[in-house]
Amino acid sequence: MSQTESLVPDEAREMIGEPLSEPVTSTITAKEAQRFAYAAGDLNPIYFDEEAARAAGYETLVVPPTFLAWALAPYRPATEVRTDGLYRGGGARTFKLRVQRVMFGGEEWDFLTPVYAGDTITSTTRLKDLEEKVGGSGPFVLQTTETTFMNQEGQIVARVRGKSIAR
Amino acid sequence: MSGPISGVTGGQRFIDDVAEGDELPPMVKNASRAQLFLFSAATNNPHRIHYDREYAATEGHPDVLVHGPLQGAWLTQFISDWMGPRGRLLTLTLQNRGRAFPESDLTFKGRVKAVRPEGIVELEAWEEDADGHVLVPGTATVRLPRRE
Repeated sequence: MSQTESLVPDEAREMIGEPLSEPVTSTITAKEAQRFAYAAGDLNPIYFDEEAARAAGYETLVVPPTFLAWALAPYRPATEVRTDGLYRGGGARTFKLRVQRVMFGGEEWDFLTPVYAGDTITSTTRLKDLEEKVGGSGPFVLQTTETTFMNQEGQIVARVRGKSIAR
Repeated sequence: MSGPISGVTGGQRFIDDVAEGDELPPMVKNASRAQLFLFSAATNNPHRIHYDREYAATEGHPDVLVHGPLQGAWLTQFISDWMGPRGRLLTLTLQNRGRAFPESDLTFKGRVKAVRPEGIVELEAWEEDADGHVLVPGTATVRLPRRE
């Protein structure tokens, strides 16, 4: 690899703005939302107690906001994991960067309307940006995806821009 | 009433009682290895750096790591507990700057950056390790009810 070769191949750059997979739809049960809240140690009554949720102005039990990022991911066979344990790229459209490792960098969420247990949510993820940068430990790519979540009534309930650092 | 009651939820906070510069009461988390396992399970995340110490060493980590998204869930809890049940989280941003380890205190802190007349509060909130290093800087925008 030459010194000047970009970490972002042209084929990857051409994906900016494009959907990374077909839309994913799933109904979020109270039980799985509560499993997430329990695992995080967050016993907020609006996730567990319908009366408390209604008293707080909600229609019914609330789904912990950031659980949306996980609630829709389809389950995969255990054989489809790589050495590091992560699932192999399963999206309909993947892109490759000239990097070894991708790390979770951060998230920017917009919560537009509450998500309730029992809602059927459809998510669409697009590749938003690939920025080449240079940091203390060398060049890296700041990869931004944007996922939009819509409920069964066609309302956008949330958006998240996910940042990953690929180096 | 059957549901569990959060030990940290201190009631409802109102916009009338919030001023720029106010500090949020800190929240301390200390994840057991079992909690990391449960969070991996709840998010169907098989990444070995969260449960396989030997594997984590091959990626240069001295121990397994606390999931970035678990710290995100904690940041959400920290802000939600401060707001009270009638508050609404409108935006949340967070960055993962440093590694967080299990069996180690992680402290969430925050302060009010601005109070807007329409009942919106802008917060900065972050997670520190036991040495005071900021691991997860974040921001949030919330809406609080007005006293009647």
